[in-house]
Amino acid sequence: MARIQLNNIQKRWGAIWGVRDVNLDIADEEFVVFLGPSGCGKTTTMRMIAGLEEPSEGEIVMDGEVMNDIDARDRDVAMVFQGYALYPNMTIYENIRFPLRMRGVPQDQHDTLIKRAAGLVELTEYLDRKPSALSGGQRQRAALARAIVRQPHAFLMDEPLSNLDAKLRQHMRVQIKHIQRELKITTVYVTHDQIEAMTLADRIVIMDKGAIQQIGTPDEIYNDPANTFVANFIGAPPMNLIAGVMEQGTFTAPGVRVDGLPAKHDGKVTLGVRPEDCTVTADAGHLTGIVYGVEPTGDMTYLTIKADDKLIEVKAHRDYRADLNSDASVGFDPKRIYLFDTASGQRLR
Amino acid sequence: MASARKRSRGESLFLRYAILGAWALFCLVPVLWFLSIGLRPRTEIITPQPIYVPTFSLDAWHMIWEDWPMGKYLRNSVLAIIGSVIIDLILAIPAAYSLSRFEYKGRDDIGFYILSTRMMAPAIVAVPIFFLFRNFGLLDTIWALMLIYAAINLSFVTWIIRSYMLDIPKELEDAAKTDGAGELRILWEIIIPAILPGIITASVIAMIFAINEFLFTLLIASTPDAYTMSVALANFTGGSDGVIYNAIALVAFLAFLPVFLVVVLIQKHLSRGLTMGAVKG
Repeated sequence: MARIQLNNIQKRWGAIWGVRDVNLDIADEEFVVFLGPSGCGKTTTMRMIAGLEEPSEGEIVMDGEVMNDIDARDRDVAMVFQGYALYPNMTIYENIRFPLRMRGVPQDQHDTLIKRAAGLVELTEYLDRKPSALSGGQRQRAALARAIVRQPHAFLMDEPLSNLDAKLRQHMRVQIKHIQRELKITTVYVTHDQIEAMTLADRIVIMDKGAIQQIGTPDEIYNDPANTFVANFIGAPPMNLIAGVMEQGTFTAPGVRVDGLPAKHDGKVTLGVRPEDCTVTADAGHLTGIVYGVEPTGDMTYLTIKADDKLIEVKAHRDYRADLNSDASVGFDPKRIYLFDTASGQRLR
Repeated sequence: MASARKRSRGESLFLRYAILGAWALFCLVPVLWFLSIGLRPRTEIITPQPIYVPTFSLDAWHMIWEDWPMGKYLRNSVLAIIGSVIIDLILAIPAAYSLSRFEYKGRDDIGFYILSTRMMAPAIVAVPIFFLFRNFGLLDTIWALMLIYAAINLSFVTWIIRSYMLDIPKELEDAAKTDGAGELRILWEIIIPAILPGIITASVIAMIFAINEFLFTLLIASTPDAYTMSVALANFTGGSDGVIYNAIALVAFLAFLPVFLVVVLIQKHLSRGLTMGAVKG
């Protein structure tokens, strides 16, 4: 329903920077996820889009109209909050009805719209209850119904699933994605959970310390990280980052030697390789060390190898077993090796 | 095992009721004692010998209703108190909303100033207030009592309500804003219902203070037109009849009754309100 552009957005409180130099163009009907650790500025950016915070500098544009001076209530965005923010004195029916009343939707349409929204989130039988009489998952669905009851320009969702248990979260994730696709409404979603980001997003915006680190599709973010922050933030376990030295195409670090890399990056380099791109080998591999930990999970075995003082994670075959402190050798998939400048953390290509 | 557990649970329940019963008795004895004094003949109260079987008498009851305009006093008290609480709420709710929700220069100083009015000894302002009310022609009226009770209680009513408002998650207001509500609508439809226990708590405490207020009432009220129950009590302590203990006891009991009834009616909200304030405020 709306294209949202953030042009050079800055937010600071005195000397403290909340958000700096954020430039982003969110296409109509796109599902964009802001991902980053606590305090990275993702929620602040979303609150600025909602009109709940004013940017210190920069422009927020929706469908070509600059929104900076437009009040939150006139922006026509619907927000879902981490703590649900259901009105405790109203029934679920009245909660869902509230935005319709506030925006002057004709009374005779209310009932149909409320029941349609409640139906979409499977909440029809709880409409006469107060929020306190619902479980966490039901409250979350009620908050979602309140957001989708009208057709806003955009949905803004601030960690809406973080208070739910793992099973419910997975179910709600599917529901949110389905509803967004069905309603075709531009959605901005904030989370610190990378699984949510990877599964929901058309594009992910990774933020750290108030700045955007990378914007890309989930595949791009995972397979083509722009810097060590992104490489380390995405993936469970995260990418192994080994600081060493590159000389004429050969990377060396204590216990590690990789030949045949591009010769143009001589100097202090950090080599990155994901745990699933490491293979335990019988002969001499790229890395040698001792077995530090073996964690079978059923479908695979997490193996931790200590090389010098560095711990390297490997996703090994589910039958793999080894004694602690025994020697181990690991080979890296040469096509899946990433190089980063150690000083700046930026990717070397 | 099961029977032992059952017995110990029964014992703990008995102990609980015994302690609570003892506490209830401790609180109720003075009230019942007052009632018993009020319902006995005057001579029996001042006799030096202990009386084990008191005589029931409605002398004092008849006296306060027939010889004194007690109905008027009671009506004055109720009107002045209810009026003052309404004035307090009309002023305190927006003030508390402003103090708890908006950022502006000097906000905390204003909050402290409001509270500091309560720190002053009432006698200091008694004479200026007398002249002020006289100049406005308000002496000896219920309106004056409403205003003065409201003024006395406004500071803590504001602060109690403010502390409840601070407990309301900011998200609730943000949600209402993005839903399209303006500030007044948010206050009226979201904040006030959410802090209802706080409003009730503050109102009851203001009522208790108002019904016990004596100094300003005595200053402002000079005829039964504006006498309240607390000043009426003083009527029975002087004059040619001496101290009329049973009448005093009965009037005190009647003054206590309205607040007691209000508290009983709203005790569910009140207990929740008081604990909320205590834990989170």
